[in-house]
Amino acid sequence: MGKVNSTNSSRKSTGARAALVGSAAAYLLFKAGSGYGWMLRPPGALEEDAFLKKCLRCGRCAHVCPYDSVKMGTIADGIAIGTPVIIARETPCYLCSDLPCVKACPSGALDPELKDPLKTRIGTAVITEREECLSIKGLRCEVCYRACPAIDKAITVENYLNVRTGRHAIFEPVVHKKECTGCGICEKACVLDRPAIVVGPLQPPTESWYES
Amino acid sequence: MRVNRWTIGRRIVQLLVVALLATPAFGFAFFEGNLGSAALFSLWLSDPLATLQVLVLTGTLTTTLVLGTVVVLLFYGILGGRAFCGWVCPVHLLTDLFDMLPWAKKRERINLRWKEAVLGLILVLSVLLGLPVFETVSPIGVAGRALTFGISGSLVILVLIVLAEQLLVRRIWCRSLCPLGGFYALLGRVSPVAVAYRPSRCTHCGSCEKVCFVPEVLQPSLAGSCERVHAGDCSRCGACVGICPENALEFGLRKPF
Repeated sequence: MGKVNSTNSSRKSTGARAALVGSAAAYLLFKAGSGYGWMLRPPGALEEDAFLKKCLRCGRCAHVCPYDSVKMGTIADGIAIGTPVIIARETPCYLCSDLPCVKACPSGALDPELKDPLKTRIGTAVITEREECLSIKGLRCEVCYRACPAIDKAITVENYLNVRTGRHAIFEPVVHKKECTGCGICEKACVLDRPAIVVGPLQPPTESWYES
Repeated sequence: MRVNRWTIGRRIVQLLVVALLATPAFGFAFFEGNLGSAALFSLWLSDPLATLQVLVLTGTLTTTLVLGTVVVLLFYGILGGRAFCGWVCPVHLLTDLFDMLPWAKKRERINLRWKEAVLGLILVLSVLLGLPVFETVSPIGVAGRALTFGISGSLVILVLIVLAEQLLVRRIWCRSLCPLGGFYALLGRVSPVAVAYRPSRCTHCGSCEKVCFVPEVLQPSLAGSCERVHAGDCSRCGACVGICPENALEFGLRKPF
């Protein structure tokens, strides 16, 4: 009788231990979603939901990137753990003509139909800090315009009278979303400590997205 | 003590795999990716479970993925499904090493069959959450990425596994929870390569069961009911073959079905 009891209790404690491990794993899984926000993906990336379904988190795009632009998400990025991310201000995407990352992707999370790097649409640049932008202040900066791989298409310079002085021109960089690849070179190039031009999602989830 | 040649050979292979996974970080270009999907000298390789998750999520597969999966399925299908666990997986190497600690052996083990349930759960959760769930939380992926992209907070997943195995249940991850182990255990049932047992030589000293991380698989043979280890859970690691003082165990072939 005593023996039966001891077997039962050891089974119970095994079950309890296993349940503890299981719930720890489940906690990790569900907590993971909390850190999630928009991320700049490598060229050819499918729309985010479809991308997350196909991306195998294998890191091949990052391994072949000649500029080390592609970083991997960590557990701090929630469910984006292990997925490729580009931090434009650190190293933007330089839009290699042969798109090695797209060729390396085994699962089609980076669309193999993308052949022309300038057809990349992974995000779009936006001038978020109009009051800080040196060009809009009236200086001849236009660094973002010069750096843009789609110069005169994705970023043009519009000039108009500087009403503050009444005698000078303002050369304002203007982003044209239809032509913008979202590579982030402009964000990297911006001379300000906090860039006045940044890359954001193609479809901002809310109007106030850029303010954060 | 007898030198276990199979275990020494296996450690060398395991370390070579770790080195291979780390090569992209040192500027070599012959290998890219990790154990989820990779290219080795331009040969496509893809983990069949990763491919299965993409298939249930999207209903479509790229040619690259299909071909890479076929190569891997054939490889482990012939050599023994869980040979992946025993010889290749870096998480198995990690838990192997921690299992050598003297107190680790005192922990009890639990049921092997949970892995298949976890495998099913992973596929259902993948569809529900719209994510390849195992690729997302996989400690194998975390280990592979840590080797090329450096240390990150993601390593907490590996720490949790080691802690669970050291403090709760012996080898719980590799024996009972890993869905990839579960997948390869299913594949291993049809593999032609298997441990062969010669009852005439066996003295029932128990050495083989002590070194095996899934000693359940040896029991039918030791009890005299079959001369080949049939269980899919056998990782073909060779520890029992190398340890047996009477050479009653060796690698052999069997009819796959």
